[in-house]
Order: sequence, then C-alpha cells, then structure tokens
Amino acid sequence: MKVHVRNLDKISILDSSGDVDLYSSPRLREALLAEIQPGGPSILVNMSGVTYIDSSGIATLVEGLQLSRQTKTRFGLFGLRPNARSVLELARLHKVFTIFENEAEAVEKIGSVQPFSGI
Amino acid sequence: MRIAIGSEPRLLSILRSVVRFRAQEAGFADNQAERLAMAIDEAAANIIRHTYGGRPDDRLALEVREYRDRLEFILEDWGPKVCENLIHPRSLEDLRPGGLGTLIIASFVDESSYDPEFKNGNRLKLVKYLSRKVPPCDEGSCSQSG
Repeated sequence: MKVHVRNLDKISILDSSGDVDLYSSPRLREALLAEIQPGGPSILVNMSGVTYIDSSGIATLVEGLQLSRQTKTRFGLFGLRPNARSVLELARLHKVFTIFENEAEAVEKIGSVQPFSGI
Repeated sequence: MRIAIGSEPRLLSILRSVVRFRAQEAGFADNQAERLAMAIDEAAANIIRHTYGGRPDDRLALEVREYRDRLEFILEDWGPKVCENLIHPRSLEDLRPGGLGTLIIASFVDESSYDPEFKNGNRLKLVKYLSRKVPPCDEGSCSQSG
C-alpha cells in the first residue's frame, strides 16, 4: 500500500491506496500518528484507492480517531469502497467515524464538524 | 488444493487471492468471495499474531475443499494449542483498536470449528455454504476437488 500526504489550507489529506492489511497497516499508522498533532490541521483519510482493508487496518483508523479525540483534531474519512464500508458497518464503526462521500464534500464540510462529532 | 506459506504478514495476500479465486470458481458472487477472503485472511493473521507471536519463520497451511453445496477452508498451524474459550468477538460498544478479526470471521462464514484430534498444533475449519436453501449433501456423494 502507499500513503501520500497532501497539505491543503488547515487540512491534511492522506491519500491511501492498495491493500491495508497486517503487513501494510503500520505504514498507515505511522503516517496518521505523524499528522495528528494538537492544534494541527484537520485530518482526512482518502480511502478511494484502498482495495482491501482488514481488521488491523480498521484498528489503525480507530487509533487515529482516538488520537484525534485526545488532540481535539477534526478527523474524517472519504471515498470508502463498498467492502471497507461494509466492514465498518459490521463493527458499527460507521456511526463513530465522520464519513464523507468524496473529497469535495469532505474538504467543504470538515471545517464545520466539531472535533468530537460522531463519537 | 493445499498451499503452505511462511508466517509472514506479506504473504497473506497470496491466501486472499487463492480464496477469492476458489470462491468465484465455486459460484460465490464477487462480494461473497471478498468476504470469504477477508475471513480466511483474519484467521491466518490471528495465527501469525497470536499463535506464533509474530515470528516470521513458522508456517501455516490452507486447504480448500469444494463440495456441491459449500466450500471448506482448513487452516493448520503448528503452534501452541488455541484455547477456544478465550476467543470471542469484541463488544460492538467497545471502541478500541483490535478485536475485530474474530467478529469478521464469525460474520462471514457459516461454521467454524477446531479439530480436537489435531495433535501437533491447530486445525481450524471454516465453512461457507453456497446457499442455505441447498440441503447439505452426504459427503460421500459430493465432489471434492480440494
């Protein structure tokens, strides 16, 4: 998998692609933990290129969400493919994460989301 | 069909590819095949993480058995015995990293069981039926291409 960070005005977008599994999820974790900082930009994870995500990948996203709580950082996901969405729904985590359909919506709305929205 | 791999996380993608292919060949829809791949992936990841403690120099094996009405996935390892009583999905109210793998396995297959007769490790059987409307067949009358 690959993670590429784009910095917009007060928003960091983590473009993730490929399979996020036990082997590769540490790369996503490393990128998330580096970007989520107190007083830092809002965090959006672009999942549109993620072809597969397992429980370790979901756990990484939960860890990012928890850190964003602690740092009062806005945190959201967008571009989820059906498989990723179904796993989040299975675990009822779709109600916990702030999820946007696409990047345009995410960039437009993340600033108005309370840091703990959806939690 | 039986394949053996080392206990390295980077090799899990091979198992997923095998499961997807066999499931699609057996007649499962793409989304069902993907869910099966995820269930077997989670079971194998559990072996790597928990049974082998992350050591990459052990091995595990996957056998796929095809019957008229179902696929059976047999995962074997040669680590310490798993205590089934300690395996349970995490509470859905519990927001924490981890613990989802067991939930995924339980949700995406119809049956799972450990073989108590397997002495030198663990043999986990995961079963998925093509359709619940198809009555289970007598094993002796089924084709087995595994």
